[in-house]
Amino acid sequence: MRGVFMAGKVYDVIVVGTGAGGGTAIKTLAEAGLSVLALNAGRKLVPARDFRNHRKSYDMKFRGFGDPRTRAQSYGYMDNEYVEGVWEHEITYTTAPGTQWMWPRCYAVGGKTNFWGRSSARFGDIDFKAAQRDGYDVDWPISYEEIAPYYTRAEQMMGVASTVQHRPSNPDGHYLPPMNFRCLDYILQSGCEKNGVPYLPDRIAQLTVAHAGHPPCHYCGGCTEGCDIGAFFSSPWFFLPLAEKTGNLEMRTNALAREVLVDENGKAHGVAYVDRLTRREEEVYGRAVVMSASCIESAHIMLNSKSRHWPTGIANSSGQLGRNLCDHLYGTSAYGYLPQLLGQPSFPDNVSSSTVAWMPRWQNLENPHQESFIRGYSVYPGGGCSEFPWYYRHLEGFGSSFKRDIKRYYPTPISFEVQAPTLRSDTNFVDIDPEVKDVYGRPAVRIHFQWDVNTLKMWEHSKQVCAEVIRAAGGETWGAADHPELPGYSLHETGACRMGNDPKTSVTNRFGQTHDVPNLFVCDAGVFLNCTDKTTTISIIAFTLRSSEHLIELFRRGEI
Amino acid sequence: MAGQGMDRREVLRCLALAAAAGTFPGFSRWSFACGDHVNAGAPTPRAANYTMQFFSRHEYATVERLADLIIPGDGTPGARDAGVAEFIDFMVAHDDSIQYPFRLGLAWIDAESERLDGSRFLDRPAEKQAEMLGHLAYRDRYRSGEEDGRAFFELAREYTVMGYYTSPIGLKELDYPGLRLYSESPGCPHKDDPEHLHLPPPKF
Repeated sequence: MRGVFMAGKVYDVIVVGTGAGGGTAIKTLAEAGLSVLALNAGRKLVPARDFRNHRKSYDMKFRGFGDPRTRAQSYGYMDNEYVEGVWEHEITYTTAPGTQWMWPRCYAVGGKTNFWGRSSARFGDIDFKAAQRDGYDVDWPISYEEIAPYYTRAEQMMGVASTVQHRPSNPDGHYLPPMNFRCLDYILQSGCEKNGVPYLPDRIAQLTVAHAGHPPCHYCGGCTEGCDIGAFFSSPWFFLPLAEKTGNLEMRTNALAREVLVDENGKAHGVAYVDRLTRREEEVYGRAVVMSASCIESAHIMLNSKSRHWPTGIANSSGQLGRNLCDHLYGTSAYGYLPQLLGQPSFPDNVSSSTVAWMPRWQNLENPHQESFIRGYSVYPGGGCSEFPWYYRHLEGFGSSFKRDIKRYYPTPISFEVQAPTLRSDTNFVDIDPEVKDVYGRPAVRIHFQWDVNTLKMWEHSKQVCAEVIRAAGGETWGAADHPELPGYSLHETGACRMGNDPKTSVTNRFGQTHDVPNLFVCDAGVFLNCTDKTTTISIIAFTLRSSEHLIELFRRGEI
Repeated sequence: MAGQGMDRREVLRCLALAAAAGTFPGFSRWSFACGDHVNAGAPTPRAANYTMQFFSRHEYATVERLADLIIPGDGTPGARDAGVAEFIDFMVAHDDSIQYPFRLGLAWIDAESERLDGSRFLDRPAEKQAEMLGHLAYRDRYRSGEEDGRAFFELAREYTVMGYYTSPIGLKELDYPGLRLYSESPGCPHKDDPEHLHLPPPKF
């Protein structure tokens, strides 16, 4: 290998990214005795300084509303004044005409797991064999039976609170005690029952009891600002310290990957990166490379990894690299209030800022074509005594009566957020912008994306059902969002390095190993065929565990 | 574990606040670093010491009066006690997009007041001030030709709510239950009444 002649150290594995996928790969590989070099595009966070989850609004310069001069660039609720400077705003991406994609990226060590929403449901055969059921697209190259043991291990490592629910759409797992239902949950559950909609404890990676050496949650409610005691799963609290303990991990921060380097046979043999602090170009060498930079960024780096072997990007003989981009449509399907609770004392029902409950997919379960759309969506209900009384807009007037109304309505607001997956489409993909480069000279990624008709039908359906649930629960609706959130908002993009059995139509095999380059793996949501009606993090962890152990086995057999 | 960490975090929080509060102006009343822990009483009004960042003295006094009418001190402290005018001055000074609407709206209020009674808004008796706002605030009392005034009133109301309910006083008024420590996830105390049709009579 060229690296040997350049007298640089050759690591067993270079892992690009340290979030859900990278963290899992790093820990698994280092614990197996392999030497690991982790490259992370941003800095390391210091919990005491960077996690301002216990600050009150009046502790913040702009009271938590954010600096008006930069507010327009915010990626949404998670990119707020409490986590200033943590979400990525320096590195450019572009969107094709007609595409409105918002791309919240967290390049701090641990990535988005520092601030994620924590909902953690398993994918099931209803997802893996969806094509068989409804005739759209292709099945996943993996069955639930194969991946189930990895989900069990992921749950044991993360700590997931929930209950066994026997839902056909949602395989059950191994759970910590669930979070308790609040007043609003019991009331909305009664409304759901009258409509045949399930209303159950969510699966949430938040510790209701001490677990694996981590303390239980104290329900302060600042989770979106990061947890300073590590009471919910994140890569820096749960995985990276274990990897460091092995002595097999070296981490470079502010190391922005430019491309995967190849040897004379076209195999991966390292990564070129730019040090964001010194702006120096560096090269590092490894016997294998794992891409865990997040769905779009892994595809971006691979598309930029052009050589005589891979003229359109590494491991792209299929032409599928960057294609098949899917996302979750998010939006407020309905919101309103529960008059039963008017004038009741405040109650700590919003403090976990968590998905205490969910309405798991109930559509198209027995007959895949029962509804006007195929597949299905889930809904997260929420509400209660929030930090800021945003509902004041719905209350008329001023003076003592207005002030009293704000107090009376305080425990009553409720809302429903839909999570609806798109279907793969030839028109939703990423490629390299031929003209734009980022400040480090890397050709920028360009995103092409539109909501599809099937997903928009789910959105309309969810608005009707959720309004009906509010009415049946004795509540009043204030309305629904005029539009869904922008594409990208959910952080759940999938598919840009899709896995499959056929090297002509997929980038990786069922182990996340690229068909073309046997020592190059993809371990993030890019390998998923779509995003289903569940969130992605626990599946990234389960699939990465399996991929990492496959890679370890290849090392043992001397094949790498 | 959470309990043990509390002191350390509280100390850090207070230190950070003390450092930050010194660096930006306009915080005499609304950045009570650790007010609810170490400072038992209500904050002392310091309007005389306050230096406006955006508004003129007259504009500032009008904003303060409007905020006080929108969220009055009645049984509990109001916008004036919570330093809402300082908050609004600070936010407007940092936000180009609302400078013109505030300045124009305040001018409208005085012009309309003079048109009606020949006196500026602040010179009207309190009940006449409230009466004027009533036409901007309640749909069934709207008057034609006051569209600009209604838009400004909604803006002033928005910033008053923002300033009041993010202050220590406002959070106490709501009895905001977050950012405290709980030993288990707080659950509904009325499980025998899932639809909550038989709750105790409203407290507020």
